[in-house]
Amino acid sequence: MLVHLQGPWNPIFGRLTLDSIPYGNPIIQFAFALTVVAGIAVVVPTLYYRKVGYIFREWLTTVDHKKIGVMYIIFGLVMMFRGFFDGLMIRTQQVLADGPNSPGLLEAQHGYLPPSHFDQIYSSHGTLMILFAVTPILTGLGNIIVPLQIGARDMAFPMMNAISLFLTMAGGMLIMASLFIGDFSQAGWVGLIPLTELDFSPSAGVDYWMWAIQISSIGTTLNAINIITTIVGMRAPGMRWDRLPIFVWTTLSTNIIGLTAFPILGVALALLGADRYLGTHFYTAGLGGNLMLYTDLFWIWGHPEVYFLVLPAFGILSEVIPTFSEKPLFGYITMVAATFAIAGISWAVWLHHFFTMGAGPWVNSFFSVATMLVGIPTGVKVFNWILTMYRGRITYTTPMLWCVGAILLLLVGGLTGVMLANPAINYTVHNSVFVIAHFHCMVLLIAFTIFAAVIYWFPKVFGFKLDERSGTEFFATFVIGTILVFTAMFALGFEGETRRLDYLYDPQWKPMLIIEEVGIMFYCLSVLFFAKLFYVSIRDREKNLVGADPWGTARTLEWLTHSPVPFYNFAVTPRIHALDELTWRRDRGWDEVQPETYEPIHMPRNTMIPLIIGVFAFGFGFGMVWRIWWMAGFGLLGIIAAVIFRSFTPDHGYIISAEEVARLEGGKEPASIIKENHAPLPHVEEQVVP
Amino acid sequence: MMDARATLPEKQPELWHFGHDGHDPIATKTLGFWLYMISDALIFGGIFAAYGVLDHGMNDAGGPGAAQIVHPVAAFWQTIAVLTSVLAYSLATVAMKTGNRSGVMLGIVVSILLACIFLGLEFNDFATLFAQGNTPDRSGFLSVFFLLIATHGLHMMFGVLWMLVMLVQIPRFGLNADVVTRMLNLRLFWQFQASVWVCVYIFVYLRGAS
Amino acid sequence: MATHQTDPLQHPEVQQASLRGYVAGYGVTMIGLLLCLLLTESHALAPLPLLSTISGIALVLLIAQAFLFFGLDFSRYHIWKSVSIILTVPLFVLSIGLTVWMFHELDGLTMLPEMPGMSMQPTTLQ
Repeated sequence: MLVHLQGPWNPIFGRLTLDSIPYGNPIIQFAFALTVVAGIAVVVPTLYYRKVGYIFREWLTTVDHKKIGVMYIIFGLVMMFRGFFDGLMIRTQQVLADGPNSPGLLEAQHGYLPPSHFDQIYSSHGTLMILFAVTPILTGLGNIIVPLQIGARDMAFPMMNAISLFLTMAGGMLIMASLFIGDFSQAGWVGLIPLTELDFSPSAGVDYWMWAIQISSIGTTLNAINIITTIVGMRAPGMRWDRLPIFVWTTLSTNIIGLTAFPILGVALALLGADRYLGTHFYTAGLGGNLMLYTDLFWIWGHPEVYFLVLPAFGILSEVIPTFSEKPLFGYITMVAATFAIAGISWAVWLHHFFTMGAGPWVNSFFSVATMLVGIPTGVKVFNWILTMYRGRITYTTPMLWCVGAILLLLVGGLTGVMLANPAINYTVHNSVFVIAHFHCMVLLIAFTIFAAVIYWFPKVFGFKLDERSGTEFFATFVIGTILVFTAMFALGFEGETRRLDYLYDPQWKPMLIIEEVGIMFYCLSVLFFAKLFYVSIRDREKNLVGADPWGTARTLEWLTHSPVPFYNFAVTPRIHALDELTWRRDRGWDEVQPETYEPIHMPRNTMIPLIIGVFAFGFGFGMVWRIWWMAGFGLLGIIAAVIFRSFTPDHGYIISAEEVARLEGGKEPASIIKENHAPLPHVEEQVVP
Repeated sequence: MMDARATLPEKQPELWHFGHDGHDPIATKTLGFWLYMISDALIFGGIFAAYGVLDHGMNDAGGPGAAQIVHPVAAFWQTIAVLTSVLAYSLATVAMKTGNRSGVMLGIVVSILLACIFLGLEFNDFATLFAQGNTPDRSGFLSVFFLLIATHGLHMMFGVLWMLVMLVQIPRFGLNADVVTRMLNLRLFWQFQASVWVCVYIFVYLRGAS
Repeated sequence: MATHQTDPLQHPEVQQASLRGYVAGYGVTMIGLLLCLLLTESHALAPLPLLSTISGIALVLLIAQAFLFFGLDFSRYHIWKSVSIILTVPLFVLSIGLTVWMFHELDGLTMLPEMPGMSMQPTTLQ
C-alpha cells in the first residue's frame, strides 16, 4: 500500500542520494558557512575548557526543571535567530523584486531568491518562529518559574520533562537538517492543501515539516500533562487556589489548551501523512477526498494554538507590571476568569481563518460573533493592567518597558483582529499582508513579554542582573524596527498586497517596502544589541550580583529563594499564607527569616533515557522523511524499548542529608544550577528503596 | 508604607513546613495518565470529525459506502470480545486489592487472549475487504473507515504489549508501588478502549448499516 | 522525607476496584449495545429517529462507564479526573458538531444536487 515515489529508492539510504544535498546553491553555502562558524564557536571553547563531561553529567542528563527550562530557552532563542534570518531574507527579496523592471541576482528572475527557495523560507520562518522559538521559550519559562511559584521541588514527572525537551529538539533538528539535506516545505507553515499532497510536493520538504511538527507536538502534549499535574497536585501547604500566582493560572489554562488541541493537529497531519505515504484519499481532490477537511482540522488546533502562545504572555504581563508598579494586580479574580474565558471561547472560533472558503453566511456569522466575544475578556485584562499601573509607583526598568510596549502592541493587534473577525472586512483583506501585520503584532507582543520575562527572572536563575543600558538599547532598536515594518505593512495590506509573494507587481509599493527594509535593519541592529547585552552582563557579572529579591519590589514566592536558585529550590518547603506571599512576609518583616533546622531532601536522579529517546526520535523522523525504513523502524522500536527498559530499572532518586543541606545553605556560594551539584548517574547501591 | 502595619506586631506563624509534604505519588501518576487519556480521546475526536465529513455518498468514489461493508451482527462478536477483555482485566484489579497475585495474573492472561480474539476478528474483516479491492486508497470514505478502526486496533495492540510487560513484572517485583501504579494506569487505558469501541460500534457499524 | 512507606495496595484507587461495579458496567454496556443492534437490524425506526436513539444510548453508556468502570465522582481522589472530563466534553461537541454543520452548509452551497443515474465521482483509479 506504500505509494510509488518519483525518483530513486534503495533499502539502505531510502530516497536519500548525493543529489539531495544542495551543494551549488550559494545561499545554502552561506548558511552552511555561518553554521560551521557558530558550531566552532560553541565546540572549541567546550573542548578547551574541558566541559564535555560537565555538560553531559549536569545538563544533557538532567531532570531539574530549571536546567530543562534554560535549555528550552536557549534552544528557542537560537531557533528565533534562524527564524529572524528567514524574515530578513523575505523582506530583502520583496524590496528588491518590486515591479517588472526589478533586477534579478543569482538564480532569480527578480530579486535574489527563486520562487521555490522563497517559498521554503517563509514556510520555515513561520514554522520555526511559532513552534520552535516562541513555544519552547514560553514552555521553558513555565518550566522554571511554575514549580518555584507554587513551592514545589520539581515538576510532577521530572524525567518526562526532559523527554519533552529532547522531543522538541529532535523536531527542531529535523528542520535544521532540511537546510542542508534535501529541502523544506514550500507550502507555508500551515501546509496549504492540496499543495502538500505528494503529487504537488514530491520532495522531502513537506515530510520534514510534517515530522518535525508531529515529534515536537508529542513533547508539547507531554509537557502539558506534566505541568497540569504539577499545578494540581504539587502545591506547597497553604497554596490554595485563591492564592495561586497569576502566572500559574495562565500556565494552567495554556496547558489545558495544549493538552486538548494538539491531538487534533496530530490527526490533521497524520491524515496528510497517510495520503503521502499510503495513498489514501483524505484530502485529495479526486476519489472522495475533501480538501477543506485539512483546513478544518488544522485550524481546530490552530486557533487554540495562538491562545496557547498568548496566554503565557498575558501571565508574564500580570507578574511584571505589579512588581514595577509596586501595587498588587488589579482584579485578580476577573483576570483568572478572563483567562479561562479566553481559553474556552478559543475553541469555538477557528473558522475565522477561512471565512472565504464557502461555508456560508450562517456559519460565518456564528464564528464571527464568537471571535468578537474573545475581545471582551482580553479587554478586561488590558484594563486591569492599566488600573494596576494607575496610581502605582512605576519604575521603568527594561522589563517594564517591554511590558508597556506589549500592551500597546496588543491594542493594535487586538483591534485589527476584531476587524478581521468581521467577514465583510475579512473577504477584502483575506490573504493580504494586513493579516500578516495583524498576527505579527500579536506574536511580537509575545516576543516583547518573552524579553521582559527573561530579563526579569534572569537574576533569580543566574544570580546577577543583566545590564540595563544594553537592555534599553536592545529595546529601543527592536521597537523602532517593529513600528517601521508593521505600520508600512498594514498600509500595504489595504493597498492589496497579497501575502507570500516572491515577486511584487506594483512598483508604487516601493516606498513602503523601503520603510519595511529600514525597519528590518533596525531589527538587525537590535540583534547586535542583544548579543552585547549578554556579553556585557556576563563580563560584569561580579559587579551585579543580587540577593533573593533583586528588584526590591517583587511579590511572589519564587523571590523567596536565594539568587541563584539552589538546585533543590527551597531548603524547606514554605508554608503559604496569602496571595503574593513574599509581599505578605515583607510587610510583616519576615521576608528574611530562614528555617532554623533543615531536613533531608529527596531529589530525582539524572538519567540518560530522555537523551536516548530524543536521539531515537530524530532517527525515526529522519528515516520517515527519506523513506529509510530500517532507520525509522529502529527509531520507533528504540523509543518503545527505552520506555520498557526504564520501567524495569526504576530510579527513586537520592537523598541530600540535612547536614549537607545546611552546608549548602550556609555556604558562600549557593548551590546554583551552573555548579556541579552532586547528582550522580544511577548507581545501584545508592538508590533509595521506595 | 511603614505605618500601614498594625500597631501590635503579629505573632509569626509557621513559615516553613517540615515533615511529609502530603503529596501522593500514586494519585499524581494516575492523574497524569488520565490527562494523557483525555488527549488520546481527542485524537479519536478528531478522527470522528473526519469520519463525519467523509461519510457521504460523494466520498465513495463509486466504491462501497458504510452500508456495503459493515456487518453489525458479525461485529457484535468483536464487541463481546473487547468488553469481556475489559471485564477480565478489571477483575484482575479486584484481585489486586487483596494482593492475590495469581488472580491478577489470571485476569491479565484472559484479557490478553480475548484482546487477541478481537484483533484476530478485525484482521480477518480487513483481509476480506482487501481481497475485494476495498483498500484504504480506494476512496476517501474507505480511508477514514480503516483509519478509525485501525487506530482503535493499534491502541489495543499497545495495551496487549503493556499487559505482557506486567506479566513479567508482577512475578519479578511483586505488587510494589510502581507495579501497582502501572496496573492502575493500564486499567484506565483498557477501560477507555471499551468506551471508544462503544462509539465506534454505534457510529460506524450501526449508523452505517441504517 | 517525601517517600511513603505505606502499602500501595491500601491506596484508595486500588481499593475502589469493585466486582459489582465492573460486572454492572459490563452488563449495562452489553445490553445497551445489543439493544442498539436490535433496533438497527429490525428497521423499526426511520433513519433519523434511529440515529438519535442510538446516539442517546451511546451517551448513556458512556456516562454509565464513567461511574461503573472509572469510578468517577467528586471525592478527593477523583475530583480532578471528573472535572477534566466534564470540561473536555464541550470540546468534542464543538469540534465535531461545528465541523459537521460547517460541511453540511458547504455542501449545500457548492455541490451539485445528485440526479438519478448521475455518478458523483469519476471511477477511474489513478
